Amino acid sequence: MNLYEGMFLLDNNVVREDWNNAKGTATGILEKHGASISTARRWAERSLAYTIKKRNRGTYLLVHFEADPGSIEIIRRDLELNETVMRYLLLTAEEVPEGESELHEAELSAEFSVPEPPEDHVVDSDEEEEEGGSSEQPAEEAKPADGDAPAKEEATTEEAPAAEEAATEEAPAAEEAATEEAPAAEEAATEEAPAAEEAATEEAPAAEATESSEEQTEEKSSEEA
Amino acid sequence: MARPVKKSTRPCDDPRLDYKDLETLSKYVTPQGEIHARRKSGYCSKCQRQLKQAIKRARHVGLLPFVG
Repeated sequence: MNLYEGMFLLDNNVVREDWNNAKGTATGILEKHGASISTARRWAERSLAYTIKKRNRGTYLLVHFEADPGSIEIIRRDLELNETVMRYLLLTAEEVPEGESELHEAELSAEFSVPEPPEDHVVDSDEEEEEGGSSEQPAEEAKPADGDAPAKEEATTEEAPAAEEAATEEAPAAEEAATEEAPAAEEAATEEAPAAEEAATEEAPAAEATESSEEQTEEKSSEEA
Repeated sequence: MARPVKKSTRPCDDPRLDYKDLETLSKYVTPQGEIHARRKSGYCSKCQRQLKQAIKRARHVGLLPFVG
């Protein structure tokens, strides 16, 4: 038994009817051939980079499963025949990534609900920005932006879990960086400190002088008054 | 006087290239969707192969375009 990572691109029309059904068709094929599913979760719903089976959007299902290497070939054949699975990608994995099982559990809980996939022609807002910014093509290309606003909303709601994931992954790295930088910062501080003191002592008499002169002038003015 | 050897700031110090990491991968493709040459990406041959593999996987599942 080897651990595999599978990414399945599911037809939005099936997802719109019932997410668990769509998910079940993919995981069902795996289980039919003796695979045991470790995690299975909705990875994203997004517009595709190019049209696949006359669809411009699709929902991605990310699965980690253990299977016999010999059964993969049969699984591939079944996936090819299935119409709900528009594309699939099966890779060997060394381990289930951190946080993946939590997301899997979260999806199993009753509170989880799949957002309704947008209409097929809706293009994700972030991709449009990329196209507009980097490509030298005329503005005609970027014109079909009728569903811009709803797409933006969708994008933000979808990206939230991914962002959380990223945050948790980055957190330790940031801490490491902080600890590494800390000694350097201290060194810098000690180096600068004497210089700063010198500067302070130099400035101090001058400052006092100015203050005293000010006081004197104030006193004078008060006397005059 | 010999100049001090500049430490490599190239990204292959820690690539961790994954086909799902579109934020990273999209930095290494042209607006037309072509993979950056090694001299542009700055990757060593090992990492460049990983990059190529990751981008091609992303293309297969429709995350990146074959042609922009």
